[in-house]
Amino acid sequence: MSENILTIENLSKTYPNGIQALKNISFKVRPKEFIGIIGLSGSGKSTLLRCLNRIHQPTQGKIIFAGQDVAQIQNSNEIRKVRKEMGMIFQQFNLIPRHTVLLNVLTGRLGQMSTLKSILHMFSDEDKEKALSCLRLVGISEKASLRVDQLSGGQQQRVAIARALAQEPQILLADEPVASLDPATCHLVMDYLKKINQELGITILCNLHFLSLVRQYTTRVIALKAGEIVYEGSPSEINEAWFKKIYGEKAQDIHVN
Amino acid sequence: MKAWTIRTSVFDASTFTFLSFFMLYLLVQPTDEDLLNLSRNALISLAFFISGAVLSFFLNKNKIKTLGERIFELSYQENSSVNENRCSCFWKWQMALTLFCALVAGILITELSLRDILDQDGFNGAMRIFNELFHPNFEVLPRAVLRMIETIFMSFLATAFVIPFAFVLSFLAAKNIMKGPLAFGIYILLRTILNFVRSIEAFMWAIIFSVWVGIGPSAGLLALMVHSIASLGKQYSEIVEGVNEAPIEGVQSSGANQLQTIWFAIVPQIILPYISFTVYRWDINVRMATIVGFVGGGGIGKLLIAYQGQALWKEVGCIFLVIAVVVWILDQVSAYLREALK
Repeated sequence: MSENILTIENLSKTYPNGIQALKNISFKVRPKEFIGIIGLSGSGKSTLLRCLNRIHQPTQGKIIFAGQDVAQIQNSNEIRKVRKEMGMIFQQFNLIPRHTVLLNVLTGRLGQMSTLKSILHMFSDEDKEKALSCLRLVGISEKASLRVDQLSGGQQQRVAIARALAQEPQILLADEPVASLDPATCHLVMDYLKKINQELGITILCNLHFLSLVRQYTTRVIALKAGEIVYEGSPSEINEAWFKKIYGEKAQDIHVN
Repeated sequence: MKAWTIRTSVFDASTFTFLSFFMLYLLVQPTDEDLLNLSRNALISLAFFISGAVLSFFLNKNKIKTLGERIFELSYQENSSVNENRCSCFWKWQMALTLFCALVAGILITELSLRDILDQDGFNGAMRIFNELFHPNFEVLPRAVLRMIETIFMSFLATAFVIPFAFVLSFLAAKNIMKGPLAFGIYILLRTILNFVRSIEAFMWAIIFSVWVGIGPSAGLLALMVHSIASLGKQYSEIVEGVNEAPIEGVQSSGANQLQTIWFAIVPQIILPYISFTVYRWDINVRMATIVGFVGGGGIGKLLIAYQGQALWKEVGCIFLVIAVVVWILDQVSAYLREALK
């Protein structure tokens, strides 16, 4: 068994308004895993991912990644170096609607280039080729010159994946990547994530709502409830009892076909 | 004590002060010397204010609804049906009395009288001026057009020069950009300065600059610039504060620094509203430039004040016409542009 790529120890996050979003979260991630994180809205899934790349500042605990504790870094340059290694995609895609698809993917290269060059949009030929190949990977290179706001939701999420891939990250953080998509598009996007995981060997941590998707795509699942881990293990082992424990007595499983 | 009790008391105390002072004025019939004794009058007002505040507090405590309570309770307790059994006539009388006394005081202070308006001599004089204004002397048209062009370009320059300054200021004066103790301090300082500069009208800046750089278009230009930096800076920064956070998060997570984040995630969102506000500012500046000209800022205002001083009403009429046409056209064009840029 190979070494862990990410080790989280006793991670806690309390927001300034007093809400404790994460309580003593500890888990380990091995390279090339596809981890599903499930739980109700407000259980801390999004906060967890945003603590890992330091969009949010954790209150306590350790995030060991590439030999350093990400939670303790204060220098903003060092934080940006970590972010380069962790791509992120979002429920609302978080693209720049007025820019073209290609320019959006090229923003994935911002961490690797000088401020002056990036502000003048002086992207190198390698960067452009890299961006195009990422677009080809998610099957959307023919839209490269279109404006993002002309694309459908599923297409926008694929652009967002391409942007994250353009960073050449080791880890991809996916925050509810399919929650605003219809069931068919949802599977298309999940298939691309699976492909990235298997072909490029990128470790994925993915927040999901539907257990059926978790069973179909992930290799391991972590369930959060009120900021604590209540289940960690194989997705196939989540039975009815576990399901009710995670989502509450009255919940019913919904299948996305 | 809740915040709205304080607001209620302050409001009621203000109306009470006004009413008491007005009654005192009618009773005592003070001389000019009495009226100019500011410190004594301020003390009397303060006494009235304090007693008004106390009165309001006790009235409300005894379930008599004052006007202040009627106004401020709305924003605090939406369903005020609990208080329906209170005496509901007091605040209506308070409002009616205050408005009535304010009207009477206004008429007394401005010495507005129907006699002056209907005075035969005055009326004839006004008719003569109107008659001349409506028969403009078009011989001065070429000069008026030339001066108008000066005014338009003065406003254009004032707007254009200001864009880069306001652009940079807008980020430094935006709450969502200036996080952290030092940055927040800069934000507060800049906001205060911008609000202060903005509260001084452009024509007052023109008075200052006409002494500084001499009477002429450059004084007007500088006056408009100072006022525009403050106004545009404030409007721009409010646009920055209203941007969608999602793209910012997206760009940040790719490892971009602060400047790259602003350039890639914020600027694309704000560029159209910026252009729209800038066009509107130019439109406003043309109108302001006319006023600025009155006090030595050059342009069409200067010409207008010169003819008006010599009572050349036909020439003034021609200038009025030029100003009206240009302002109307600009107003239409800027409205059309802003609509298209939405």
